Amino acid sequence: MAVSIPSVSSTAAEGQSALQVAPVNAVSARRLLALLRRPTFVISAVIVLWWVFAAIFWHVLGFNPNALGAKTLAAPSWSDPFGTDELGRSVLARAMAGGDTALVIGPLGAILATALGGALGVIAGYFRGIVDTILMRIFDVLVVLPPIILLIVLVTGFGASTPSLIICIGVVFAPGIARIIRAAVLGEMGKGYVTSAKLQGESALRVMARELVPNIWPTLLIQITLSLASAILMTATLSFLGLGAQPPSSDWGLSISNNLGDIQIAWWTVLFPALAVASVVVSVQLIADNIKEVTSQ
Amino acid sequence: MTALNPRDAVVPAPGRGFSALSERQNRVLVLVAKRLIQIPAVLLVVSILTFWLIQVVPGDPGREVLGQYATAAQVHQWDVQNGVTGSTLHHYLHWLGGFLTGSWGSSYTYSEPARGLVLGHLVNSMLLGGVAFVLLIPFALAFGAIQAYREGRRTDRAVTISLMTISAVPVFTIGAVLMLVFCVWLKIAPVQVGATGSFFYRVREVLIPAIALALSYLAVVARMVRTGALGPLMSPYYRTAVLKGVPPGQIVRRHVLRNALVPTLPLLGLYLGAFLCGDAVVETLFSYPGLGALLVEAAQHKDVLVLTDGVMVTGVVALLALLAADVGLILADPRIRFDNRQN
Repeated sequence: MAVSIPSVSSTAAEGQSALQVAPVNAVSARRLLALLRRPTFVISAVIVLWWVFAAIFWHVLGFNPNALGAKTLAAPSWSDPFGTDELGRSVLARAMAGGDTALVIGPLGAILATALGGALGVIAGYFRGIVDTILMRIFDVLVVLPPIILLIVLVTGFGASTPSLIICIGVVFAPGIARIIRAAVLGEMGKGYVTSAKLQGESALRVMARELVPNIWPTLLIQITLSLASAILMTATLSFLGLGAQPPSSDWGLSISNNLGDIQIAWWTVLFPALAVASVVVSVQLIADNIKEVTSQ
Repeated sequence: MTALNPRDAVVPAPGRGFSALSERQNRVLVLVAKRLIQIPAVLLVVSILTFWLIQVVPGDPGREVLGQYATAAQVHQWDVQNGVTGSTLHHYLHWLGGFLTGSWGSSYTYSEPARGLVLGHLVNSMLLGGVAFVLLIPFALAFGAIQAYREGRRTDRAVTISLMTISAVPVFTIGAVLMLVFCVWLKIAPVQVGATGSFFYRVREVLIPAIALALSYLAVVARMVRTGALGPLMSPYYRTAVLKGVPPGQIVRRHVLRNALVPTLPLLGLYLGAFLCGDAVVETLFSYPGLGALLVEAAQHKDVLVLTDGVMVTGVVALLALLAADVGLILADPRIRFDNRQN
């Protein structure tokens, strides 16, 4: 449970009766400990950290995703554990380096979606009435199209550069988050502190930013983690469809679609990048689920 | 999201026996009539958004089609013929008029009428999506029901964990693994799925892509069925039915399934729309000529007309699927009212 008045600092509650809200630091420490006791969380975190590490340090570790080897389409062996592709490039090196786009665009897109959706949700829930109706109607129109089709239209409009992909992911995921935040704000609006703040003459912006946002902060954080897996998946999907990263990038989604023609003679060129994407998405989803379970206890 | 307008309320009038039945039919008719007015309005907004977004695309379509050796006069003539001169508003009205009267323009990349192209691909998508949907429903119902009956026990948890893991795996990974196993190693299905041959031959061909598509949605639908079935299973009317000796099959059909469907139907409507319009990923993976794959291709080549027309057709199919789900909802649960939003 969050502190209801922002001016009450976390240390002020320390040492008071059990009914008092526990200090924020102690709560997060206890939750972190509870998370570390969950094997699925630890394994997932290790996998995600491994891919982040690989995406940043692959050149330090001596991998070269674009080095052309002598053997093309070689099966997995000791020298090339994941085999080579049609240009003789090591599939392992390409898998190591291929996470960068998904791991940059996915998280930033999820954060943008949460910021955008959170802002719109707070505005809709605070003002209600006509503002709420207009925003919800716009969201209704956006959910008519399947997300991937909406994304295709947006990418066609804004282009496939990294910043525009982040914006597109943010726009696609924002309406869903806005609905959840709006519902949370509607629940807060009936509480005393909002009424007091309004009676004190605080401006609408201040009530939203200083009173409402701190109180729905846990919901917002959970939305970031929950949309993270979908955002990474969407980024990889766009690359797979040829609308994201462009050759000769070693991006996982792009590698899958590029090597699809070779699947009958060299399955390893498709299977390993596919498993890499799957491992990241499943791990991030499991991390989000674990965080959600721990915080709701 | 099922009720696009909260005020398309049907005034609730309590009725019993046969009068309730006829009232229900009336309510279906009223809902359909109201949606038939609403759907074009929503589509108009979708068309404006889509058109405006796609027109932001830089570049000259005439130049793109005719290539770099065409003269400026030829490019200009092509632009006039295809209605891409003047302001965006002018383009939009030209396109809208054409779309409504059935002349959808022609594809830049395929050099053939966009209408035949889009509708032909839509039919292919509907076959693949339809097969996937037919595969999805019985398995989702079965898994959801098993989980609800075994709620909290080991079976429930095992099914939840395995389904959730599968659903988190990207559909192109599922598809690639299925392709490897069935098409490359076992060689019992084609790697590239065509769209020719007799109906049954085509159904057999799309089976592997359809399984990939259905698998990626299975967990969410099964979860919904489980949640929906838990309520009835704990209810007094279920206990009464069991105690008075109603045959188990009848209990499941009349008391459990019908109530379990209520939270599931809106979700199914959303997915039915997405399935029938074609899943871009599965279609691209199996080189299947469906609408989703066509739209991806149109986006890559900036084939503006095919993209806009295709998005509109997708919108129509999705909205009709939502309408079908809402009608199903009224038939499954006569108490349902669309007079206030559920969120």
